Amino acid sequence: MTITCGLGEMMIAALARTIEDGTLVFHGFGSPLIQLAMHVAKRTHAPRMVLVAGATYGIDPDPPFLAPTTNDWVMDRGASSALDIEDLFDLAASGRLGRMFLSGLQIDKWGNCNVTALGYPDIKLKLPGGGGGCNLSCDAAHVTLWTTAHRSPADAKGQRRFRLIEDCDFITNLGHRTRDGRPARELGHRGNGPQWLVTELGLFDFDAEGHMRLKAVYPDTSIQDILENTEFEPKLADNIETIPAPDRSIVQLIRRLDPLAVHQKEIRADDLRRGFVIV
Amino acid sequence: MPTRSRPIYTDPDKRKTLDDLASLVTDGAVVAVGGGLSSREPMALLRAILRRRVTGLTVVGSAHGIDIDLMCAGGALSRSSESYIGFEQDFGQAPNYRRAIESGAVKADDSCCYTLVQQLRAAIQGLPFMPMRSARGTSFPSLHPEYRQMVCPFTGEELLLVPAIEPDVALIHAQYGDARGNLVIQGPPVADLLFAKASRVVLATVEEIVPTQRLGELGGISIPYFYVTAVSEVPMGAHPTACYPFYAYDRPHTALYYEAARKGLDVFSAEYLDVFIHGSPDHADYLARIGGEATRKRLASWSNGPEAWKLLYLDEAMA
Repeated sequence: MTITCGLGEMMIAALARTIEDGTLVFHGFGSPLIQLAMHVAKRTHAPRMVLVAGATYGIDPDPPFLAPTTNDWVMDRGASSALDIEDLFDLAASGRLGRMFLSGLQIDKWGNCNVTALGYPDIKLKLPGGGGGCNLSCDAAHVTLWTTAHRSPADAKGQRRFRLIEDCDFITNLGHRTRDGRPARELGHRGNGPQWLVTELGLFDFDAEGHMRLKAVYPDTSIQDILENTEFEPKLADNIETIPAPDRSIVQLIRRLDPLAVHQKEIRADDLRRGFVIV
Repeated sequence: MPTRSRPIYTDPDKRKTLDDLASLVTDGAVVAVGGGLSSREPMALLRAILRRRVTGLTVVGSAHGIDIDLMCAGGALSRSSESYIGFEQDFGQAPNYRRAIESGAVKADDSCCYTLVQQLRAAIQGLPFMPMRSARGTSFPSLHPEYRQMVCPFTGEELLLVPAIEPDVALIHAQYGDARGNLVIQGPPVADLLFAKASRVVLATVEEIVPTQRLGELGGISIPYFYVTAVSEVPMGAHPTACYPFYAYDRPHTALYYEAARKGLDVFSAEYLDVFIHGSPDHADYLARIGGEATRKRLASWSNGPEAWKLLYLDEAMA
């Protein structure tokens, strides 16, 4: 019998691979895939990672299950201590935050993200806002971006709203270039900006210029899928790899950590039907 | 111009009714709402403020949800300077908040968590501004022309200066307090300690007012009394957000709220505001409307262990 995992589990494993052992890592709210990726990393290849939970600021918690919202006492059970809000952001500002995970309703080719508004300064659609993402995009040593809505089919009127877009209407989280084309590295921020982007269609890194570059696709997606669903033309790595499926033990771990399948709320209905063979 | 000196409060008995607290929030005030996301937001106090038809408030804060969304629907806000307003992955975007901003009824002056922290710290320290490195290169400086840049006279680095934020009033719901206004916050304080220190007036609701000597065994005082202007005992005062250890997040009630909000302001007014705010004269009546003791017991059942806790959040529990 073939055993499969879901897209969410594939993405969690891919996101977890971006975490190095021995670093201090933080997740925000509204991001169950990231919460799980950090708990998976901590329990597998990165046992000495300092896991700071978003919203509760608990250190190395061991939650009994993943709660549907982030600021819930479920999520800081077993934490050895907790930070105040200012502590976490001070850690970032002083260069101790190794990695942060950020997303956007628009993500441009330099890794800038917009979570503030579509249309600016004349707002057409208000987005929820980026929390502390703006500050952490500048201060965290490395940033992993993710989105579960890279695919951008035409709506009823035949219009397409790309997630991976030429230019963000508003830059909430800083990528590698500012709006006027200035390289972010000239700004003297602590952080090195986005390093990876994991989407439901593929895995990207950023080239020496800070431009997004396709690195890998899933077993069931193609370079063509990426190009059709990206407003700009991404760079292509010399060898486009295939994102590996997680080991069975990791899939079992994810299911134990998330018995309510909260992470599936991040995944579109069509993508919940995708399956990947695991060993 | 130095920032104004800030008062201290030494009345030995600051106990007031919930409505007395609400009456201290006046039209046009800059308000810091405590708690965050689905936890320990001062919901009963916000409902009392809405019943008084207060208008023109500016809210400042970090990551919030139903509290600010409700204030938008109730017509109390003219400006929102929060860093996030939504229901996370659980329900998604905040419908009343979005409508209020897209219609122009509320001006969106979004901020970011550390920017807010630095602005509150400036107020706490009596300084006009604080510097930071981050946010340069993003679009936030264009949204906030009050920010300035300077070259650091010591290192030559370019820094962003953000001005002090001194809220007129902070609204905080804590687990415990005493008659003098000492407050105990258990679990994540979010920005409440910063709000209490930076604001001119602090209005606190608590689940229980207890004798001062018990505050030590309950975890110790988080906010000393002299910051606090008035306190009111309001059990279930954070509902439908959580106030552990008393009660968990009321997910089914939030689903009911969200479903009404999603259908538009008219439906929300008829199905939610007219039922739970304006049609409900006070907090005791509200508690009866949300299911009284049965609801309290259901939400307190989290403490029976992880299995009971999990049951509160099953999708099937919302049917």
